[in-house]
Amino acid sequence: MIKIDPTSAHSTALAQQFKAAPFGPYSADVQKLLQLLRWGFVRGRTIIICTTPYQEWRLGRMAPKRGQPVEVSETEIFTDYGAAAWACFRARWQEVVGKPCPVK
Amino acid sequence: MSERILGYTDRLSAVPGDVVNFKISAPLGGKFKARLVRLICGDDSPEGPGFKSKNIDSEIDGTYPARQQPILAGSYIWVTARQPFDLPNFTIQAMIWPTLPGNGKPQAILGSYDAASGSGYALYVGEDGCLTFRAGQNPPVSTGVKLLARHWYEVYAVFDAGTGRVTIGHNMMLPYHGMQQSVSETQMLSAAMGEGGRFLIAAWNDDKFAAAHFNGKIDSPRVSARALKPAEIERLRDLPLDVELAQYVVAAWDFSRGMSTVKVTDVSGNRYHGRSINLPTRAMTGWNWDSTDFSWQSKPEHYGAIHFHDDDLYDCGWQTDFTLTIPADLKSGVYCAHVWQKTPDGGKIEDYIPFFVRPARGTATAPLALLIPTASYLAYANQQMISSWWFDELASGKFATMNAVDQYLEEHESFGLSVYDEHNDGSGVCYSSHLRPILNMRPKTDLWQFNADTHLTDWLEKKKIPYDVITDDDLHAEGVEVLRPYRCVMTGTHPEYYSKAMLDALQAYTNGGGRLMYMGANGFYWRIAYHAGLPGVIEHRRAEDGMRAWFSESGEYYMSFTGEMSGLWARNGRPPNMLVGNAFAAQGFVESVPYHRTPESQDPRAAFIFEGIGVDEVIGDFGTVGGGAAGWEIDRADTRLGTPPHALIVAAATDFPDTYHWVNEEMNHTHSAVNGDTNPRVRCDMMFFETPNGGAVFSTGSISYGGALAHDGYKNNVSRLTENVVKRFVDPTPF
Repeated sequence: MIKIDPTSAHSTALAQQFKAAPFGPYSADVQKLLQLLRWGFVRGRTIIICTTPYQEWRLGRMAPKRGQPVEVSETEIFTDYGAAAWACFRARWQEVVGKPCPVK
Repeated sequence: MSERILGYTDRLSAVPGDVVNFKISAPLGGKFKARLVRLICGDDSPEGPGFKSKNIDSEIDGTYPARQQPILAGSYIWVTARQPFDLPNFTIQAMIWPTLPGNGKPQAILGSYDAASGSGYALYVGEDGCLTFRAGQNPPVSTGVKLLARHWYEVYAVFDAGTGRVTIGHNMMLPYHGMQQSVSETQMLSAAMGEGGRFLIAAWNDDKFAAAHFNGKIDSPRVSARALKPAEIERLRDLPLDVELAQYVVAAWDFSRGMSTVKVTDVSGNRYHGRSINLPTRAMTGWNWDSTDFSWQSKPEHYGAIHFHDDDLYDCGWQTDFTLTIPADLKSGVYCAHVWQKTPDGGKIEDYIPFFVRPARGTATAPLALLIPTASYLAYANQQMISSWWFDELASGKFATMNAVDQYLEEHESFGLSVYDEHNDGSGVCYSSHLRPILNMRPKTDLWQFNADTHLTDWLEKKKIPYDVITDDDLHAEGVEVLRPYRCVMTGTHPEYYSKAMLDALQAYTNGGGRLMYMGANGFYWRIAYHAGLPGVIEHRRAEDGMRAWFSESGEYYMSFTGEMSGLWARNGRPPNMLVGNAFAAQGFVESVPYHRTPESQDPRAAFIFEGIGVDEVIGDFGTVGGGAAGWEIDRADTRLGTPPHALIVAAATDFPDTYHWVNEEMNHTHSAVNGDTNPRVRCDMMFFETPNGGAVFSTGSISYGGALAHDGYKNNVSRLTENVVKRFVDPTPF
């Protein structure tokens, strides 16, 4: 099984590809990278919260169980869904790989 | 998140003269206002047609006292008789299959315990997952051995008033090496138990409410008026009851009786029957199921279990706040009670509570009927796929994105679930009702199901095409008779869930000369059942195959409401292709694409469809649902699956990206060519064919199609094409 190596130029290139086109089309290698970042339940992981329909998105996180408040980030507000997707990508990279995404 | 004003109706479909009862929970105190609106379009997206409604003067216009009404989720059995279970000596026993032992909450199995008064007795799974007994103010008695999830146990508590001793224990049905199969614990009780409350199974009392809901299956519960020995307890597992011990049995409930009902039958001879509350799942494999039979009707004695969940919800049971008697002159259509309250900061909280008005039975006020897919609305009601699906992002091709409804449902767990979700214990949800607020069956929400279908009402209104509205509920109850008055029936964008009565009715309609416009995709896919007696609820089992949110357990493919096998209609011998030519091919939710005409589109039989549309014209490279007319979920033709041999594929979309995923029921063996960029079966076919007796079918093959109708002020080729089809389909000239 492939592993994400945050120090490799290839991984950096894949992150840059996603940043440039967050909704695709994706190359085969970006598809595989996204499968690794998206495998499993998202509870407890960074997700996107639409705080104003069609206009505003933030990052957030569900609590460990249903019935508890969703944590919604107060620090970053996105007015573009693609920008929110990119921010979520970077946060998920950190959560899955354990190291920061090399692309800012 | 701030609280919402919420409501529901006691019926989704009504004819003139019917009374619709509205049940409202208004959180801000004081008063709330209500008025009737006819809903034209619920799409308030920036690129969409905009929210459109028309105020209708009616008897509901007015101001009402506000009150909050609670939702009490969690299923259990209430045994009506109370006094017989106040016993000096007793044994209570059951077979259990716990699913959430050790979840930090008590989970009652059976007894009369009332937490409010601290009296009565109950056998339960303790907060730590160990079998526990509690009686009155005495300290709880625990085995100290945690139960394993999803394993069958015989559990019991034996109380001897003469000695004051209570013995509890469990016997594990599946032995494991190194694990003690039978465990027991005996202690003295010094304090009196007290009277307790109602005798409940799968919950205990908290004054007049139920609490400590059990998660898992319970089978063969018994109460005996004697302190039985361990061997005697085992002899009472089976039915008929042991002849020697039967004289001591106060109640022996046989859950395999009346599995289609809410009745719970005591077979001891004492008739201490009960009823289930909030629809725990019945027709579940019992402790003795051994795979000799897979249908509960064939071998009911193997289906003596009921699966209870702490998040089951059938009917909120709210009080009625106002009623509407449907006026004789109220035009058929989609209506909402618009309710709202002003907030202290000058804002407003509001809700639109939808219902559907049809003409008087047996009559039509237009040649066209829009068939509202209420069964599919129920299937998705309050869905929480973001948290239920471990594969949600892999399936959707996007990072999980919560809207306000998703967030509210996540933060308020008592609204009941959809058949796309898993219960808190990970078991699939089989029942869904509309007797609760359904937050995603609303205008101004995601363009999916109800709100996406308002693209059709919006377009019909804009084009001044007369139409009536009928619903799945009517189709199921009245069959083809509800369709007969119409020359043409138009479906919603995603009529996915069908009962046999509904499918039979549509097939009879098209075979009898009716014209069917299938305006979506992934339709007629899953088999469901309506309940014969309980209003407003459907059942579904995720049997065998298909794009399943969860798997039904082995032996649990047959629905409790009717005994029919559920799952795919294609696996029940009725692939959707037989009705509409198309069947579900793939799904993807990132972008939609356009159609291109095929050579078959120039067949003279299809000329009417393309009047005013060029041979090389790209069709639908626009729309509010993914930016194209072909997408989200898509269908394709296949004569091997039942597409009529004379069907014309008049247009097709094939340029789907990797985020479109092929349906798994066509995949007999795993491989990696499953996405739109590599799999030629990921395609969308637009189709036309004639049916017997002058009828015809038109299939768009796409859920996104409706989102393209309003593009460019409704002057576009999707709108033109649709109008061409409507005009011909309402023309009585036989095909």
